[in-house]
Amino acid sequence: MSLEVNSNFLAPPFLYFFNLRINLLFILVMNIRGKLTEYTVEFLMIDSSTLILTIMWGAAIGCIYVLLATGLNLIFGVMKLVNFAHGELLMIGAYMGFTVITALGVNVYIAVFLSMGLTALIGIAVERLTFRRVLGAEKLNEIFVSLGLILIFDNIAVLLWGDKSKRLISPFENMSIMLGEASIRVDWLIAILFVIVILIALLFLIKKTKLGMAMRATSQKGQTSMLMGINIEHIYIFTFALGAALAGAAGVLYGIIFPFNPYIGALPTIKAFAIIILGGLGSIPGAIIGGLLYGIAEQTAAITLGSIWRDAVAFSVLIIVLVLRPEGLFGKRGE
Amino acid sequence: MFTKDIISWIKQSTKSTKFYIFVTLISFSLVIPLVLRDSLSIRVLTLMAIFTIYASSWNLLASSGQGSLGHAAFLGVGGFTSALLALNLGIPPIIGIFIGGVVSAGIGFLIGLTCVRLKAWFLGMVTFGFSIIAETLVSQFDDFTHGILGFRTAPLASSGLPFYYLAVLIATLCIAIIYYIMKSKMGLAFRAIHQNQSESKMIGINTAKYKLYAFAISTFFAGLAGGLYAHFLRYIRVEIFTPANSFEPLMMSVIGGLGTIEGPIIGSIILVAIDSYLPNIDKFLPIVHGIFVGPYLRLLGLGIFLVIVVIFLPKGVSSLLRKMYNYFFTDTKKANNIERK
Repeated sequence: MSLEVNSNFLAPPFLYFFNLRINLLFILVMNIRGKLTEYTVEFLMIDSSTLILTIMWGAAIGCIYVLLATGLNLIFGVMKLVNFAHGELLMIGAYMGFTVITALGVNVYIAVFLSMGLTALIGIAVERLTFRRVLGAEKLNEIFVSLGLILIFDNIAVLLWGDKSKRLISPFENMSIMLGEASIRVDWLIAILFVIVILIALLFLIKKTKLGMAMRATSQKGQTSMLMGINIEHIYIFTFALGAALAGAAGVLYGIIFPFNPYIGALPTIKAFAIIILGGLGSIPGAIIGGLLYGIAEQTAAITLGSIWRDAVAFSVLIIVLVLRPEGLFGKRGE
Repeated sequence: MFTKDIISWIKQSTKSTKFYIFVTLISFSLVIPLVLRDSLSIRVLTLMAIFTIYASSWNLLASSGQGSLGHAAFLGVGGFTSALLALNLGIPPIIGIFIGGVVSAGIGFLIGLTCVRLKAWFLGMVTFGFSIIAETLVSQFDDFTHGILGFRTAPLASSGLPFYYLAVLIATLCIAIIYYIMKSKMGLAFRAIHQNQSESKMIGINTAKYKLYAFAISTFFAGLAGGLYAHFLRYIRVEIFTPANSFEPLMMSVIGGLGTIEGPIIGSIILVAIDSYLPNIDKFLPIVHGIFVGPYLRLLGLGIFLVIVVIFLPKGVSSLLRKMYNYFFTDTKKANNIERK
């Protein structure tokens, strides 16, 4: 049984942006079999090695979603801001990593930290120039600004780096570990390890330091914390920069695992939102568990039902959850 | 009885300046294809009329506080229904587009049932999800829809001037209907819900009911626009569901002016003109990384324009026009009144 992968049709001029058809399963199967030019993928039968592969692959993707969703959650929790352009920071992070690697010749895993810093700076600029001015007004305005930012970032990236797919080559490119019959790339495991380290550092920052306490206070009651002597403007800047830095790290890890182009940002954003809605708004453990489960569920759906169902299944789950509980699976009932 | 009403309405409306602006705009739209006679310009003008309907339908939904991010789903449903009816059953497209609108409104009503309880950003996510699901379903049932490769749609009217006048006629009717909905009690309820949902619930507005009405009406017009769009392009493919098509009416309404009647019209004129005429200068621009920079620069400019409009002109370009109008016409009258007193 074979399954055709949609090729991209030539779109009318105003349809250039949001090229959403990045077929992850396609890339996965290409990587496993090493056939980069074949245009049909065979339908995979589920056996034990496929199962292990699916879970590990899902966990590696899930880790990237976790970083993105945590950053979004942080920004939403503290600033009550809905940033639909968060995935664009992931894309910019991947390109920052690419630029740092080509300019300085550093290792990809050191580039993760450099890219975090650079993306945080971009995040500060974005917050000061755009979101600061519409914050607290109407919720729809934030969505409109985010859409404008998506257009801006996508096209700046195309103009600066071109629209061809790029990859970040890691030193462990061809290494893999055999788990039963499934071979697992070392890079996936390192990515998972990186995400764990970054999340532990983040939890330490939020739970144990004074800055984290100020952030938690701002997220609970902004005005009261202002009265307690917290400069919430600075907290907003710091939170947005932190969220952007997490997206930057996610971007470089994404670039190590997959090829990337300027249009990769859109779909991860939507998925990160789905994860946040599933895991509960403002809850970081919810985002972590939700992200991992989502990554694995998505891969399972793609392998059992076929790759064109990947996105639709994800959204169906999201819609069913929202119909049953409009405030999210673990969210608090408000109003 | 009824004719008396109409006569009195005409007498009343001739007193207001809005009526004259409306009449001027319509007569302008009827005359302009005689001035810009080349076929590209007439195509562009037709596209403007179609996108005016589409953007107005989005705007109606947004004025009840529901910003949809997946309106392309309804555009596509309307287009596919009308095109498939003409292909399989031979129903003439002029009836088919209205059937497409009704089918789209039915689906919109069902989707609205799930959406009325959601907050702004959840709603955006869910509607976006529905457009992705619609795209997947249409490609899955390709035997029935012929969506993946697309097919040639039946002609609605001969292309060129006849199609343009038909599109302008339908657009005028749609805008008139939307105008009367927004002026009626229902429109008042929409605006109240937009401003504060819990307070409007407290006054006794059935918010869920009115939000559903907004959904059904808006999706009807979106489906109608989809039918016109499909018969105008003379082909339809699953590509009609792209997120770009969902964001197009949003940008048009926001740039023109959210929650106003004239906003989507102005926005669609600006955006369609940018999309159609600016590519002419592409060949003078340099080639970077082996790509033509024209389309990307245009989208970049559009993004910057959108952000600037949202930040500095929250009521859109139409608010600028209103200010100019007030500056030139109303202020002098007011000043005269003050002098008389």
